[in-house]
Amino acid sequence: MQEYSSQAAYDRGEAVCVIGAGASGLIAVKNLRENGFEVDCYERDTVLGGLWNPQNQHSPLYPNTHLVTSRSQTEIPDFPMPDDWPDYPSAAQMLEYLTSYAKHFGLSEHIWYGSEISHLETVEGARFEVVVKPAAGSAARRLRYGAVIIATGHHWAPNLPSYPGLDDFRGTVMHSSQLKDPSRLRGKHVLVIGGGNSGVDIACEAAVNAASCVHSVRRGSWHLPKYLGGEPSDYALARLASRPKLLRRFLTDRILKGPKRLAQRMGIETPGHGPGDEEPVRNGRYLEHVGDGSIKRRGEVARFDGYDVAFADGTEIRPDLVVLATGYQPKIACVAPELLGGTRDQPAPKLFARMFSPKAQTLAVAGLVEPGVGVLPIVHWQTHAIARWLQVRKSDPERAESFKLQVNAESSHNAVSAADDSPRRRLVVDAEEYLASLGRIIDTLEQEPAK
Amino acid sequence: MSLTAWIRRARTPEPVPVRREIAVFEPADLFDIEIKDNPETNPVLCCTGDSAGAAAFNALWLKRIASSGRYAAAVSVRGQGGTPAADGGPEARAHDVVQAAVTVPRQTVLIGHGEGAAWAALAAGRYPAAGLVLVSPQRFPKQLPKPVGEPPILLVVSESETQSKEVQAVADEYGITPLTFAGAPDDVFKGAPAEGLLDAVLSWLDAQKR
Repeated sequence: MQEYSSQAAYDRGEAVCVIGAGASGLIAVKNLRENGFEVDCYERDTVLGGLWNPQNQHSPLYPNTHLVTSRSQTEIPDFPMPDDWPDYPSAAQMLEYLTSYAKHFGLSEHIWYGSEISHLETVEGARFEVVVKPAAGSAARRLRYGAVIIATGHHWAPNLPSYPGLDDFRGTVMHSSQLKDPSRLRGKHVLVIGGGNSGVDIACEAAVNAASCVHSVRRGSWHLPKYLGGEPSDYALARLASRPKLLRRFLTDRILKGPKRLAQRMGIETPGHGPGDEEPVRNGRYLEHVGDGSIKRRGEVARFDGYDVAFADGTEIRPDLVVLATGYQPKIACVAPELLGGTRDQPAPKLFARMFSPKAQTLAVAGLVEPGVGVLPIVHWQTHAIARWLQVRKSDPERAESFKLQVNAESSHNAVSAADDSPRRRLVVDAEEYLASLGRIIDTLEQEPAK
Repeated sequence: MSLTAWIRRARTPEPVPVRREIAVFEPADLFDIEIKDNPETNPVLCCTGDSAGAAAFNALWLKRIASSGRYAAAVSVRGQGGTPAADGGPEARAHDVVQAAVTVPRQTVLIGHGEGAAWAALAAGRYPAAGLVLVSPQRFPKQLPKPVGEPPILLVVSESETQSKEVQAVADEYGITPLTFAGAPDDVFKGAPAEGLLDAVLSWLDAQKR
């Protein structure tokens, strides 16, 4: 520890440290404040809003990013978006929304910008010592907190695939997060790699702007339009969730029949599981662009060769620009993987109920899930539960004990299936089950103490 | 707001959006150098069951609240004042109040009068109000949501209402004792009873440090 400072750590008492001032961090700060906690929030960048802020130097936004989930399913439960906004707000509106959220609840005064947490470790049992490294200038500081909430998100470290010959490729290669300006596509022959939402959105941008667009997709996935039956699709599907199981399946199949047949016609196989088990592609324009030939779908890329790209089926094309829309690696750098239930070789976190550290009672992660629905409400309930847990832990050890047992049980419900390969698949949860499990957790924490 | 209540609401159709009339009076609008906007205090948003809507608060309330250094606003819900009528019952009107509340720059106190008290109470069940003031509540819903974020709650009724069953029920629901003001239930917008009432509300707000 000598390299930081010889001074003793500054003790912030029972205050809570929140790492990251993106959507999840802001919600965490607000809910902790509402429950009476002192909060210090550290943001490595100089702006709030995280991935939604194009001024953030690590922002993953690509041209024309819009929400893929609808307004009513995405807004923070206790701070609705203006009801005259469109069903699918843009990234700029999302930033406006988060900024007004921060302003409305006076969150900015608790945020320390340009401060990265370089290290954190447990001290005195359940307390934490964090090392705050400013972006420039003065030396690192050490502070002690009663609890730490990590809200750094998982869209920062680009997942870059490797292909034979990629390093010697003569054209331009960039990750989707580097494509800030749609004019870079204009007049180019573009190859987009990756069949997730970003890949499909960028392929649609290229379809109207570029000279040609080839889209390389490794496997089939669900393609949903943004509207189903005259309603935003996520809303339409979520509404069916309250029906009895058999009726629900029947109605879901009926409503999905059209999109499924269209995808088949375009040569896209639909996976066996329902669209809720994995983040579906939500874009109504894509299949039409495939249908009018402005997007040509191909299989997996086999190798890069000088100016050419060869596909697994033996065909070759010569693109000017290759966009790798291959997603992100979930990475939490500030904390040792062991604290989050991982190991050195398997750093992927294994958390209780997808939020609590299995090793330290006062360490939690907010927003490290891929629920296939809007994440903001999930984070709201997560941080609500975390704040309540931190209260109960202090005030009511008996209930805390029963709660720990419950969280253990809840965690086994949404255990990760072992066969998953892609990093984000490990974060996938079934929204319906996860919300129910969050509801049970909150009930346990909020029920009146037994007399 | 409980998680289940949110799930239920997120899966029912949203009320038809309307262009809401919102009257705003900021301390700076008073042109009085003695009165400054105090950012430590919470803004105040009013609504009433009176069909005039936001305009009802123009005569006295908004100026008086602004002169206490608070941002003062009033909203006309659907069908009142300058807001066009649209479908929806109390829930839709509560939606209008919440939508108005999120446009206020800081976390706001909700003041509801008459039927507006019921809408404010419903709104407080889904928006973390900084405080909830119910003035002569009428037609209160039987099923009340628990206010989000545990705001302080004040119930003010006229002397003639103190014994009414409705007021008793509301007081019991929140576990509070009503404060009484001199005058009839309809005297809340102007005249001496209204000023006394407003002073009581404002001094209560100041005492909450909100």
